[in-house]
Amino acid sequence: MLPFPVFRSAYGRLLVVLLAACAVLALDLWQRPAAPAPASATWPVAAAPADLGQLRVVAKGDIPMPPGMAAAHASTLLPMPASHAATLTVFWFSGDRESGPNVQIAASQYLRATQQWSPARFVVNRFEMGAQLGYGLRRLGNPVAWMDGSGRINLFVVATGWGGWAASRILHLRQSSAGSGLAELAFAPVRVLPLSWLWNTSFLVRNAPLPLADAGMVLPVHFELGIKYPTALRFDQEGGYRGMVRMSQRPYMLQPSLVQQSPQQWLAYLRDERPQGKIGVAQTVDGGQHWNDLPDLALDNPDAAVAGLGLAPGQMLLAHNSSLASRGTLDLSRSDDGRQWAPVQTLERGGFDDEFSYPAMDWVNGSLWVSYTVDRHRIAWQRLAVAPTPAAGPAQAPAPARAEP
Amino acid sequence: MNAVLSGWLAQTLATDAPALPSALALQIWSHLGWSVVLACLGASLVGRWLPSKRSRLDGRQWGVALLLALWAWVPGPYSPTYWLSLAFQAPSVAAVLLCDALLRYRFFSTRSSSAVADTPRRFALALAALGVLVGWALLLDTFARLPVQLYAWGFSPAAAALVGVTALLPWVVANRPIAFGRTRWWVVPVAVLVFVLWRLPTGNVWDAVLDPWLWLMLHGVVINGALRAWRLRKQAVTGASAVESARDLL
Repeated sequence: MLPFPVFRSAYGRLLVVLLAACAVLALDLWQRPAAPAPASATWPVAAAPADLGQLRVVAKGDIPMPPGMAAAHASTLLPMPASHAATLTVFWFSGDRESGPNVQIAASQYLRATQQWSPARFVVNRFEMGAQLGYGLRRLGNPVAWMDGSGRINLFVVATGWGGWAASRILHLRQSSAGSGLAELAFAPVRVLPLSWLWNTSFLVRNAPLPLADAGMVLPVHFELGIKYPTALRFDQEGGYRGMVRMSQRPYMLQPSLVQQSPQQWLAYLRDERPQGKIGVAQTVDGGQHWNDLPDLALDNPDAAVAGLGLAPGQMLLAHNSSLASRGTLDLSRSDDGRQWAPVQTLERGGFDDEFSYPAMDWVNGSLWVSYTVDRHRIAWQRLAVAPTPAAGPAQAPAPARAEP
Repeated sequence: MNAVLSGWLAQTLATDAPALPSALALQIWSHLGWSVVLACLGASLVGRWLPSKRSRLDGRQWGVALLLALWAWVPGPYSPTYWLSLAFQAPSVAAVLLCDALLRYRFFSTRSSSAVADTPRRFALALAALGVLVGWALLLDTFARLPVQLYAWGFSPAAAALVGVTALLPWVVANRPIAFGRTRWWVVPVAVLVFVLWRLPTGNVWDAVLDPWLWLMLHGVVINGALRAWRLRKQAVTGASAVESARDLL
């Protein structure tokens, strides 16, 4: 027996279903935030130097390692507010070995007072994060830092499930400590980002986000289970996840690095996993709503991460490994159109088996700061400026990892 | 008016305004979801390996189901939830509802129930086949083999409404009442409702109505249903042939 007469006809039932769908839709819309305005990128500085070709190294060295740790990889730089005691915070992952069970996320800060890097300390531990999430995390890696509109540091780290890096997910952490000084810096998980239907697996993060005018950002990530493809994730000013857009149709491009040409026109430079690879490029002209592939750059890519930085309209920098089969040379190049690149500096030149990889860059206080992995054992840094400034402090020669007093 | 309508339409189709569950809600859901799934699996395995000849309220099945369900609520690495979530995140709402329905059927239903006798199975089979197809589409989308971004579309309000309406279509087109019993046609609509209320498990409607394990299980349901239909048709044809042969002999 049907309880109501309206249920007896198919039209009646259809009407009930449509009304129910409208109710569900209204309930759903009521819970959601308003759709964001179209994304508009900003530049990190009001006025970049006129001639990036004149950039020269004014200071360099190693970032102190956590005591007893033999492996280090995948650093990321975060400029700190002008009122902060530190100019920069650098995060990377460190442990006995890459993918080792004791790998944690380490951090150090470049202090304004001493013009030195502070002793490193671990700020993210997988067991603590697992306990807070309620489930296990097998390995941690590839931190990427961003400061949200409320001044809180957000960290996006790769956290693996069962399997290797291909079984990774992206864990979003947010600063839980009151201050962001290194001694008290602590994080709590926000969530594992929902990016894939297949047990939410195989998305990784590596490169820095693109800042937006609304104080949000676009985070470049990539998928790497079998095939590779890059994806852009949008976040609002509070670090709220606002959606995903696939960036390339080519199944061998990964680790996108975003560079703005105008507020709505951006380029993504991509690592190419093919043996004779070139740096790949994808472009959006509508603030990241749609992407299309562009022809590769003329620059070789030995299946290695690149880091791009847009300083001002027509002023772009790219840190990249420039030989085909080795990560032994790390170059800095500049461009005004994003397509034609001219060398600025060779940041490192080593032998075939040396590795200077995974560069990260940012522009702070009139200088370009670069950090990168050296032989997967330590993180090195360089500061470049058009002309050395008194505030640059004493140049540090490359030296083994050490803790500052 | 047009501006209001187009604004509303844009908001309905928008994939960039997702509402996601809190970390606490997801943690509770993981424990609840895996406890129900494990209890169902445990009871099913015990029922298969150690079948009871007495009542359906088999103490062994009850005991195993209860034990597994409680074990899943233990916090930390001594809990199966800790490791299952590490590998597979949280089960879908639909999978949990289905396991719950199977458990309740196992423990509380009676064989004389009219729900079993009157079940129009083709609706359940059609929904299962649709689930299989959607799962394949989501798998292809995961590997970027589709021209559209199907998973990302699952963050839009329109996706939740469309999934809900599609799941209710069997009830609309049915020319007789569909029993709530073994068809479980209500699972997906209720899953959509739970999703809309609590955003579980991820804020994406696809994760609420279909997870990879459920999708694999639906393959079995569809294959089993197709084989059964083929056998019935074959029996019918054989029966008709036998009747004709008998007529010829007469």
